[in-house]
Parts: sequence; C-alpha cells; structure tokens
Amino acid sequence: MKLTMGKLMIGVVLFIAVIGLLRFHPWSQKSAVADKKDVVHEGPNNDARRSLTVGYLPVTCHLTCPVTDFASKTTKTSTNFNSQRFTDFPTVVDALKAKQVQATFMIAPLAMKLREDGAPVKICYLGHRDGSEIIIRKDIQATSLRDLKGKTLALPSFYSNQNLVIHKLMEDQGMQPNDINFVILPPPDMPTSLAAKAIDGYFVGEPHCAKAELLGIGKVLYLARDIWPNFVSCVLVVHEDLIKEKPDVVKDLVRGIAESGKWAEDHRAEAAKLAAPYFRQDQKVLNYVLTSSPHRVSYAQLTPTDAEFQQIQDMAIKMGILKKRLPISDYMDRDFIPQTIVAAPIPVDKIPDKN
Amino acid sequence: MKQTPRKKAEIVLPMIVILIFLLIWYSITYFKLVPAYQMPGIADVAKSFKEEVMAGRLANDVIASMWRVTVGFVISAILGIPAGLWLGQHTRLRYALTPMFNFFRFLSPLAWIPFAILWFHIGDKPAVFLIFMATFFPLAMSTMTAVASIPSIYFRVAKDYNYKGTELLTKVTFPAVLPQIITAMRVSYGIAWVVIVAAEMVGCQDGLGYGIWDARNGLRLDTAVTYMVIIGVLGMLMDRLLSQLTKLRNVRWGYER
Repeated sequence: MKLTMGKLMIGVVLFIAVIGLLRFHPWSQKSAVADKKDVVHEGPNNDARRSLTVGYLPVTCHLTCPVTDFASKTTKTSTNFNSQRFTDFPTVVDALKAKQVQATFMIAPLAMKLREDGAPVKICYLGHRDGSEIIIRKDIQATSLRDLKGKTLALPSFYSNQNLVIHKLMEDQGMQPNDINFVILPPPDMPTSLAAKAIDGYFVGEPHCAKAELLGIGKVLYLARDIWPNFVSCVLVVHEDLIKEKPDVVKDLVRGIAESGKWAEDHRAEAAKLAAPYFRQDQKVLNYVLTSSPHRVSYAQLTPTDAEFQQIQDMAIKMGILKKRLPISDYMDRDFIPQTIVAAPIPVDKIPDKN
Repeated sequence: MKQTPRKKAEIVLPMIVILIFLLIWYSITYFKLVPAYQMPGIADVAKSFKEEVMAGRLANDVIASMWRVTVGFVISAILGIPAGLWLGQHTRLRYALTPMFNFFRFLSPLAWIPFAILWFHIGDKPAVFLIFMATFFPLAMSTMTAVASIPSIYFRVAKDYNYKGTELLTKVTFPAVLPQIITAMRVSYGIAWVVIVAAEMVGCQDGLGYGIWDARNGLRLDTAVTYMVIIGVLGMLMDRLLSQLTKLRNVRWGYER
C-alpha cells in the first residue's frame, strides 16, 4: 500500500478528529473533562443555585480555600465554591486580570502592588496568620539572624512578605541590608537546595519548611510570629466587578472562609486529611505543619486591620516594592466580614481517605 | 532476505541501550549513591505511574497536550507553508519581510507566555497560541528559503510548457520543495513538543507540562519523572510517525538522491 497525498490528508484529519473527540467528550453531559478532573469532592449540596471558582496555590497559607470548597458541598450553603489550584502567582495574577477567576488567594504585597497598578481588585479578608518560618541547615550553629552574616538565604519572591519581614528583622538586629546574600528560588526547590548546601537557609511559607524538617536537613530558626506577631502573608483578593455584580456571593465566600478557618483551627488533623487530595501532597507533611505546633500557622482573627496593612505598606515603600502611599481603604473592602463566626459544620466522617 | 538482520539490529540495539540506562538508574538509587530526594527510584516512579493512570489524570494530560500541539501545529502549517511559498516567489517581498520574520523567529515562544494568558486566558488557547508562535516562523522561513533556491532551469522549462499562476505552483514549485518542507515540519514538530511542556507549566490546568509543575509543587519528584518518561516516549513515537512522510510517493525522489 503506497502512501499518497490523499491518504495522508485523510489520516491527518482523522487524527485531529479522534484527539478532538477524546479531548472534549461531546457525548457526555459534563462540559469538559478538565472541569470534572478539578472537582475533588462532589457533594450532596443541591441547595446551592450559584457557584464561584476561587483560586489558590497548594500551600497551607491557602488551606481555607479547599476547606470552604468541601464545606460548600457537604453543608447547607447558598453558594457552591470550587477551588482551582494554580501553581504560581504570575498565572494567578493574569487569570484575575482576565477575570478567569474573580476571587483568589494571594500574597499581600502582590495584591497591594496590583491595586497600585490600577487593577480593580480589593482585599476582602485574610487567608491565615503566621504560616512561615526561617529554616536553616542543621549543621549551622545560629541562634539569631546576626549569626547568619555572610550566609545565603533564599526567598520565594521579591514581592513576598517574607522579603519585607526579614528586612525588618535585620533592621531590628542592627544589620546592614547586604549582610546576608538573598537569592530568589521557587519554593519547591528550597528543601533540595538546602540539602545540596547551595543555600544556608530559606524563609518561605509552609509546607516547604516542614519538608526540610521531615527530611532531617533543616531546623527552624524563627517562626514568623517571633519576628512579626500576627504575621499576614496571604489575603483573599476579589475582583471589583464581582463585588458590584454579586455582593451576595462575596458575602457567602467571606463567611465560608471565616467558618472554615474556625473549623480548621480546631480540627487540624482532619483539615490535613481534607486538603491533601486538593493539594495533591503527602498528608504526612500537611499533618506535621498543622499539628506539630499551633504556633506554626493559625486560621483565627482573619479580619485585617488598618494598622497592620499600614505597616506592610510602609515597609514595602521603604524597600521600593510599592511606590505610592494609598489610603488603606483603597486596598480593602471589609463590608463582607460576618459579625459572629461559628465553625463550619463539616461532617468529619465524610472526609474521604484518599491517601 | 537482506532486510531481516538489519531490522533485527534496529530493534535489539536500542533495547540494549535502554536496559543499560535503566540498570545504571537502578544501581544509583539501590546503592544510594545520591539521597532519595534527589533522584527517585524506578519502583517509586512505577508506583506513581500506576497512580496517575488509575486516577485518569495521565490519559487526560496526554490528550490535552496532543490536542494543543496538533491544533497549533496544523494552524501554523496551513498558514506558514503557503506564506513561505508566496514569499519565496516574490523577491521584493522577501527582502521586505525577512528581517521581521527573523526577529520573531528568535524570540523564545516562552517570552510570549504573559501575553498568551492575557489575550487568550487559561486553557487550550494560550498553549495553542504559543505552539503557533514557536512553529510558524521557522516553517515559513524554511519554505521560503527552499523556494528561493529552486534551480532556475525548472522555471525555464515551466515557461516552455507555458505554466503560470496556480499551475506553476502545483506542478513545479510545490513538488520541488516538498522534501525540504517535510524536513522543516519534522524539525518544527520537535520544537512544538518541547515548547508545549514549558508552555503548560503556566496558564494551564492540565497537560503534561502542568503535570510536571504540579508534581514539583506537591513535592513529588517521582510523579515528575513519570511525566518526563511519557513526554520522551510520545515525542519519539511522533517523530517515527512523521518520518513516514518521507515515504510519500511524490517526495521519495528527494531522499533517494
């Protein structure tokens, strides 16, 4: 059988048709395979008439996002929340600008930077408190930041709170900004770089700190709260169009996160089990983060105050991350925060054992 | 009969190389030459391969990536090859556009990622756009160069036969450059397959590249290796398929010189 141009064209068309069919499943009721794949738990909540997709990264700072997702499907709520996992902040920002997601978790200085650049977004709530640590190599004898003079420390991003906080700490301890060499590394590479002795330590959110401890290569030098009490790292950012068009949904979302936070605060092991399949991470690591010490991360007092954001802004302006001094009310919309917060009535026995 | 021993060698020799490779990999992890977190073992990778297959993620990711590459590549072939044919025949136009085409050809497609997401949001479209940007310019440029270098005697003969316009294109120009076009397609398909993995690392929610990035975020290097293996194997198979094009009746002359 000789291959001819005609047969080739037929082959190409067939190939595209088959792949296209496999990709879009026109015969199935569900809109796309990809959407179905993203739904980790399908719940019996049929009361919810509306739904909203909320973006997050698989870090414990964003834990309340999958918890709210799970709660909206297993308890009575009027809005279904679907959490969409992202893998990096630049994509989250682009998705938010393009209104692909209208609500997402994000590091606070990045949200403020977005606002400064004129993006129509508001900070509506906090995701957590604390949740970051300075980890150093096990063989380094250090009791304070001063002992790290001349060493190399990794940070997740120039726009991270960790960057601000560590500079505040250096200032407090009377150090010069260039006493420590800073490098920017993606968080997943930090534990391995530490093991390979490419860096002497790092400052990042969980679970990347716990990973180094569990591998036996690093130890905690400072918890975030030791440096900056009630440390704020990630916030809930909502697009202004959603606030204008569907304030009820935003209200449901903020209440959902508040109630999920309260639940997670008291059900830490269960929260780790719940989040592991969303994060696609090892439950052991998450469990360690949440249960080894209540001081590592907290999901209470999530209402942002003017004073703490003023402090973040001052520090960010000093470091050249932000340029203009905007009134805090420009960044923030606290109208949706509920007066009283009760723990979400999540049925613990319904959390599936997926690990 | 002469073919058989050669065919046998074509299968057996690569197998031996692969086995040696696996053996080295196995011994490195078995004798713990490097710590486990720096190099996942074969058993772990096999386990996570099973996990990904069972969850249905792997099949979904493979289809997603194949779809994006195929659509992007077909669009750039449909636009790029005619563009190249046309430019090749018009000297002034070629002079005018070559620097611009070269400019875009040397821009890494990954540099377009922020714009891809801004313009095409998240999902298949940005990845298809990136594939297009990665393959259109090389395809158009090589077609153009191929047309420009057709010996002028072909055209003189064509003139004697009084071929003009479309007839000239289909009877002389296109057949003359087809072998080079096929080579260019093979090369740019390779580019497309390399780019898809990087393109899916951001702005996507599925696909093989996303799989690697996600595994990395989940601190699961064994899963990342699983995806690497799949990407390599699929690329190999695709090239095998495209190499079949050289057996087309109209172009065999180009390879049997």
